[in-house]
Amino acid sequence: MSEARFQNPGWAGNTGEFDLTEADVRGSDFAGEPPLDGGHPSVAPSLPFMLVKKDPDAPLFEGPYLERFEKIRGRYPTARAALLPALNLAQELRGHVSPETMDEVAGLLGLSDAFVRGVATFYTMYNKRPVGRFLIQVCTNISCNLCGADKVLAAFLEHTGTELGQTSSDGNFTVAEAECLAACGFPTCVQINSRYFEDVSVDDVPAVLERLKREVNDGF
Amino acid sequence: MPDSGRKANTVTLTIDGQEVTVPKGTSLLHAAETLGTEVPHYCYHPGLTAPAQCRICLVEVEGAPKLQPSCVTMAQDGQVVHTESPAAKRMRQGVLEFYLVNHPLDCPICDMSGECKLQDYVFDEGREKGRGREPKRVFGRDDFGGDVLYYGDRCVMCTRCVRFMDEVARDSRLTVVDRGSRAVIDTFFDRGLEGASFAGNVVDICPVGALVSKDFLHKARAWDLDHTQSVCPNCSQGCNIELHTRDNLVQRLRPRENQEVNGHWMCDYGRANYEWMNRPGRLEEPAAGRGAKRRAVDWKRVLEHLFVQLREGSGAEVKVVGSASASNEALAGLAAVGGAAGDVSSRVFRSRRAADEVPLPGFPSLVRRRDLAPNVDGAGLLGFERTGDDGGGGGLEDLAGHDGVLVVLGDELADQGEDFGAGASLYVYLGTFDSPAARNADFVLPVTTFAEEEGSFVNAQGRVQRYWQGMQAPGSARPAWLVLGALAAVLGGDGTPASAEDVFAGLVAAHPAFAGLTYDALGDQGAALQKEAAHG
Repeated sequence: MSEARFQNPGWAGNTGEFDLTEADVRGSDFAGEPPLDGGHPSVAPSLPFMLVKKDPDAPLFEGPYLERFEKIRGRYPTARAALLPALNLAQELRGHVSPETMDEVAGLLGLSDAFVRGVATFYTMYNKRPVGRFLIQVCTNISCNLCGADKVLAAFLEHTGTELGQTSSDGNFTVAEAECLAACGFPTCVQINSRYFEDVSVDDVPAVLERLKREVNDGF
Repeated sequence: MPDSGRKANTVTLTIDGQEVTVPKGTSLLHAAETLGTEVPHYCYHPGLTAPAQCRICLVEVEGAPKLQPSCVTMAQDGQVVHTESPAAKRMRQGVLEFYLVNHPLDCPICDMSGECKLQDYVFDEGREKGRGREPKRVFGRDDFGGDVLYYGDRCVMCTRCVRFMDEVARDSRLTVVDRGSRAVIDTFFDRGLEGASFAGNVVDICPVGALVSKDFLHKARAWDLDHTQSVCPNCSQGCNIELHTRDNLVQRLRPRENQEVNGHWMCDYGRANYEWMNRPGRLEEPAAGRGAKRRAVDWKRVLEHLFVQLREGSGAEVKVVGSASASNEALAGLAAVGGAAGDVSSRVFRSRRAADEVPLPGFPSLVRRRDLAPNVDGAGLLGFERTGDDGGGGGLEDLAGHDGVLVVLGDELADQGEDFGAGASLYVYLGTFDSPAARNADFVLPVTTFAEEEGSFVNAQGRVQRYWQGMQAPGSARPAWLVLGALAAVLGGDGTPASAEDVFAGLVAAHPAFAGLTYDALGDQGAALQKEAAHG
């Protein structure tokens, strides 16, 4: 476990005072796959999963996902209100929200297809196109920008060999710009899937990508 | 004062220095309207909900910390409102400048030019010059299917069209896609507006040139069109419309507000069916004589001959074919002439019927009716019976070989053969087009279409509605009420009616169902039959 430690990029809460790995603090599942049942409701939205299996052809919805969908539907008074979490769930399963996905979600919730398209396209966190196994979102908003985010972004593009928004040929990486990730104290902030990497400098980029590749090789 | 204030259902406020009293719950925008002040607005439309998102109707209300959107701010007692204060004008100028940031300013090739609210407002109170130096983003145009074309660059994102489809058509096919400066109106990818029955209305309510009609595209400029108040002739709903004409041709139909009948809307079927009003090859001159002996004769002589023949044949059995597209005035004249000529044994009309009604869910009184003719109910009230099939054919078996007097008005007899009326002692054909079945007519009299005359229809709700003349009749075609009125006058000894209004007055006297109605009482919004009869 010790060789998997990172000084920089670090993880949120690591002040360098303790010789603890992230796994020691969060448990070894921190970088694993999201639990099928969505995890405990109290922390579910903030669990920082690295590995997400994406199957663009997965059915909407079956088994534990159907259970979660029905829970979501039951939490809201109207179908409209349940649309955002339902799209979230579909994206978790399929990796992106395609026109077919919008249509299916509209059918499940009894909403008009056009309305679902309007909502899905309004929010930038729904991927309207397929993305790689790792969606690398580099914050280029003001604090990060002042601390060299543009160079970090360029380094990610260079080391993954992709253009902005495109997926690398091995299907691993998609690099995108993000507006403020609310980690202005730790520029440059990079969000990879649902995990934050903070204080990322240009020199850290190869190590981050190496770690991601290793995780792919380790049975993902 | 407090007592009267508590009882009153009205509020009194001051707008631009003028005091005005309006019912409680009136918006500032409407209150200003009663004073003749138009507060600029895009997103607000009287037939839709108001999201107050266009930010151009903001007015200054004394005491309020910020400018207030006048479309959703309700008038309060004692309010002092300024629509033209420096703050309000400065704000409007600023908002308009933002609207123009990405607007292409392609007014010279835009269909909306001349009736565009963006053009009007910017001309009235916009900046003389824009300060934007950035390149404008360009979307191009998008075919929504049906009759609707979308120019994203011109759009001001008022979402009237989205709300119309949501709230009135209840068929949410339009939405705002994406956000910020990339936002456009769109349907669900390639699923367009095809098959929607009321989608044409989004073109009418679009305040700018973003949604335009493909049918009308680049056909005419708004300022070249003459507007005539009329009634849609394509079904028995009788939606109030305007005929927009240029060069004596109808260019398009537009709905006209009537809250009792059609609100602000009309259906796509009615809107699309206007080319028949422009159909060439009309009957232009009156003529007399059967088959090869037919000769053009001027009106005076043809009516004299007809009068003589009608009088000679009086007492004969008369069969009359009317039309559900003819006005009340023409049908009453037809009934009168038939009655004066002899014993009327049958008064019939034929009209097409659709298989289904097409309702507008958000405005329940508007339904595209099954009867595809405007005056089915008027014909019924005036003693005509419907005959034939749903295609508007058949039903004339006992008339084709009739040996008495035969009078046909406004029915082209398209399904009848050349021997129609061969045995009739007198066969009079009043129509807009010649027909093989008119070959045996002793008299062929050219009459006008509804667009070329004044008159009235009774719609399916039992509402009598007037329409006005929007086109010049071809040749010497005359309104049927005038031709029949002149004949009835000679036969019955009264004077020739001078106007459709005279004929209507005569009709009201003769038919109790119409009791109490006059052209003045009908106005441009019409009046219901029973209610007027009860009061009268």
